[in-house]
Parts: sequence; C-alpha cells; structure tokens
Amino acid sequence: MRRVVISQIATLTSLGAGLDSLWQSLLNGETGIAPVTRFDCKNYVSNYAACIDGLDAPANGSMLDTILAQLAEQLGDLPTDCRLLVASTKGEVDLLTDACRQQEEVPATVVAAPFVEKIAQQFGIEGSAININAACASSTLAVARAAAQIAAGDADAVLVYAADLVSEFVFSGFSALQALSDQPCRPFDANRNGLTLGEAGVALLLTSEAAAKQRNETPYAYVSGWGMANDAHHVTAPARDGNGLILACQQALKKANIANSEIAAINAHGTGTIYNDAMELTAFNAIFSADIPPMHGMKGSLGHCLGAAGGVEIAVGCKALQQQLIPATIGCQEAEIAAQGQIKSEVQKISGDYILSTNSGFGGINAAVVLQGVA
Amino acid sequence: MKGWLNGIGWVTAAGCNGGRNFDQQPLCAGVVETPKRKQVFANPDLRFGRLDKFSKIGLGAIAFCLRDGDAEQWEEKRQIGIVTASRYGCLQTDIDYLGTMVPDNGALSSPKYFVYTLPNSFLGEAALRFGLTGSTLVLNQTDTTGGLAAIRYALEELSWSEQPAILAGICDLDPPINLATEAGYPGSLFMLLSKEPSTTVSSYGELELRDGEIIFAGAKVADFRSLVGAALGILER
Repeated sequence: MRRVVISQIATLTSLGAGLDSLWQSLLNGETGIAPVTRFDCKNYVSNYAACIDGLDAPANGSMLDTILAQLAEQLGDLPTDCRLLVASTKGEVDLLTDACRQQEEVPATVVAAPFVEKIAQQFGIEGSAININAACASSTLAVARAAAQIAAGDADAVLVYAADLVSEFVFSGFSALQALSDQPCRPFDANRNGLTLGEAGVALLLTSEAAAKQRNETPYAYVSGWGMANDAHHVTAPARDGNGLILACQQALKKANIANSEIAAINAHGTGTIYNDAMELTAFNAIFSADIPPMHGMKGSLGHCLGAAGGVEIAVGCKALQQQLIPATIGCQEAEIAAQGQIKSEVQKISGDYILSTNSGFGGINAAVVLQGVA
Repeated sequence: MKGWLNGIGWVTAAGCNGGRNFDQQPLCAGVVETPKRKQVFANPDLRFGRLDKFSKIGLGAIAFCLRDGDAEQWEEKRQIGIVTASRYGCLQTDIDYLGTMVPDNGALSSPKYFVYTLPNSFLGEAALRFGLTGSTLVLNQTDTTGGLAAIRYALEELSWSEQPAILAGICDLDPPINLATEAGYPGSLFMLLSKEPSTTVSSYGELELRDGEIIFAGAKVADFRSLVGAALGILER
C-alpha cells in the first residue's frame, strides 16, 4: 500500500482565509459565530451562524462561486493527472432558493454534474471528477476515498474540494427540526442544546508520498487510516451505542496499523446537539476505555459547516500535529461528565504522531480518518 | 477487481420487481409510479408512508434487490454498503421543501420534507431496515460513465475495503422540464455485488473492473442498461 500525504491545503471560513490564519484564530480562542444578517431569522429558533465575512455572490452566480475563486487563489499548481472529489451537501442551494422565490426555472448548476464540472474547470482538472454526498460526513468520506485510490495505486493525486453555505434553506430546516441552539453552540457542554450552522470552503490535495517528493512539496501530514460505517439505526438520530462510529474508528485504526494508545488527540464532530455529542463520547469510551486522548471540537468556533466540516477539521488536524497542540473547544464551559479531563476550554498540549478526526451525519453515516505527523 | 452479481431489484417505469421474476428490460421510458407500502413490504411499516418519492423508489429498489439475492432477512447487522449514482438527487424534494419555506418566510417550513433534502437520507432508511453498516453515499451520475459510476465505485470498494457486499445502483426521478436530458431512465435499480457468489441462490455472473472497463460474463459492458440486459439474459433489439 502506498503512503498518502496531504501536500496542499486551502481554507476559507468565518475566521478568514488560509490555514495559518485559521489556526492562529483558533489558538486565540476566536469564534466566527455571530447574529445572521444574510436573511431574516424572525421565524426561526436561532439567529446565530458562522458566516464568511463579506461573502457575496457574483452577478447571476452563487456565493459558492466566490468561495471557489478564493480557494483557487490559495492553491499552487496541481499535478496534471490530478482527479477531483467534490463534497457538498447542498451545492448552489442559494440559487435554487432564489429561483423558487422568483418562480423562475431551476438553474442547471443546482444539479451535481455541472456543479462539479465548474469546479474542475476552475482548477484545470481534466480527469475523473465526482461529487460525494454523505451528509455531514461528505468531505471526510471524500478524503478516505481519495486516500484509498492513491494507496491502491489507482491515482497519484486527488484534489478534495468541499464547500457548503449558510443558506436559509438549511437554516430553516434545522430550525423546523428544533435542532438549532438559540445561543452559540456548546459542543460537549453538559448544558448544550443544539447546533449552530457555519459555512466554509476547503481544498486538500492528496498525493502519493513519491509524487509529493517529485514535486518538491513538503507534506502537512500522512493520511494513514480511514473507515466508514452506517449506524443502521435512524435517519436523523445517532445510534445511542455509537456502533457506526465505533466501527468506522476501528477500521481507521486498523488501516493505520497502530494501537489505540498511539492516538495523541481526537478531533470530534461535536455538533453541540444532546444526542450527537453523547453518542460520540459513548463511542470513544468504548474504543479507548479509560484512556481517551485529549479531544476537541471546532463547531463553537466555525459553526457546523455541513459537507465541508470534515475537510476543515482535517486541515486543522494537520496543524495540530505539526504544533503538538489542539485548540480550545469554544462554547464548552462545563464539560459533560464523560468528557471531563479530555475536553477543555483552553488550548491543550498533545504528544504523539497521530490524530483521529471523525464526522457523522444524517442517513446514519460515520467516517473517521487517522492523520500521521510528518517527522 | 471483481464482484459477484447476486441480486437485482428495481422500481422503474416497468413497475417494481426483482430479476428472478422478470424477463423484460426494466430500464425503460415512461412514468415511474410511487410504490405503495404493500408492494414493497408485506408487513406494516409506519415510516414508509412519510418518505418522499425519491426515497420510496430507492428504498423499494433496494428491498427488491436484497429479496432477489436472498439477503433481505437478517439477525445481526451486516457490513454491507450502498453506493448510489443519481443525476438529479433529491431535487424534487428540495423544491417541495421550498414550497413550504418560501411562502411564509420560513414559519411553516416542513421538517418532514427537510429530512429528505439530502439524497443519502434514503440510504439510512435502507440501512436501518436491513441492518446494513457499510459505507453509504450518493455520487453524481455523469454522462461519461454510461451510468456505471456506482458499479465502478462498488467494485473498487469491494477490493479495497472489508465490506463483503455492496448494493450499487441508480436512483432518479424525472427532473424539472428545463433540466431534462436524453440520458438515463427514471426510477431506481440496484444490484447486490458480493465478494463471493451467493450460497443460497444462483448468481447472475461475475463482474470485473479491468483496465477501466466493466466486464460481465467475459464481455465488455457499454452502459448500465446493457449490463442489466445482459444479467437478465435479455436480447436487446
């Protein structure tokens, strides 16, 4: 099996553009969550979200076009044989919503194929390009798929591109489900009461180690393990026993060929909903017993960025391994009993070569990726 | 990369059925009727009536496929995955949801519709009913793969992962008129691909992904429809 590295990263979140800037903001304990001004929230249970400051759509375009252009500026040259895996749950839903409001024809780019084609054109990718939809685990699944393709020798380079918006479509839906917190979310807090939405774009270039060397690229990290599993329990609620997440993590650890004790930290999904966070703690307890490594969640800083969440969290995981630090879990004031000692409201030092990053989503899907630091 | 084709099931314009009960090409032009619960499940299923049409046809096709492959019954959860290719995804459900959101500025947004505004939601419905704990995802169907995107993906996953079997197929409703293309047929059809031939029913044959080509029973497959035809032994005219 060939070794897989992440050799380029571009990010755009509510905490700004670029991974270095995002990392510093996270270490500073900043949050991008603020009252929403993009649409009227008077009929919703919350008015908080983590929106990208000043994000506008070009004429007749989607706000995702702006994210795409900004991420393309951050990336360097891509290998000529690069493939593309896109991960977006709702794509250009802003255009679909506008069309329905104006009673106009449905725009072509709300369908996945032209949306993917637009992204491929932006990056000059001529090879295979597909969109993966696995709800809020989409980009984690895409990273896993890209790593599998490269490890098997099926591809040398794959660009994983993930982006999702804070849209009224999704905001109203989570409000109708009573899943939004009326205050900024509090992942793993004993008094958490729901999630806060966020938006982001992220691009991760995965290549074989040999291809990165050939291109004189210094890898951020190895992708050394991955796993995916369904709870087979419920469409919107996680399995109380965490069986799907446990299975995904076990697969990832096995693929990485490491002992559980070698995981230096966990980047958890941590949505701030009662049941998700409890499920995760149950799963991590089952996997690590009494030795759960330090954990953190980023959704109190960035909101829940849907299909892009996992990609951003993997990007931050790369920095965490380099710096041997994990950011504070913003919003967690009084950690859930099962998380006490592992989740902190301050930056934590870590020690080790591996980070486990996990996400779960509607449809019962769970995905886990093990990152390994580059010596 | 190989896999045994152990089951086929569909909900298409030809109706809903499994491969062992049918001798005509199920992928055809026409109207896809929304299946009733009784057509899909013999026993009451309270949630079925609440599903959107996209989910009903997808779940129905998976049910018929597992039944056809004698893999419907289960006692312990099984690490079987589902890979679906879709051109339009749940676009019609998105539009239906917006029909509840837009008129009253979100005040009457339907949670029932919203749950199904992800194209992978019906995969969760299938997973919980049939105890499937493999990887579940939806890919976009493209014109360049002859409708075989999910089959390719599944054959690769069978080779690269520990999943013993994967359901691979298509699911699409008719799109809004302005987005309609000539490619593909409405409806849903799934194939049960396994690392081993079934021990209880006869397999349709072995699929292989070789040098980028899909090979079935020794012959190259041009597209998804001809694969279905070949598996069912239908002579295409």
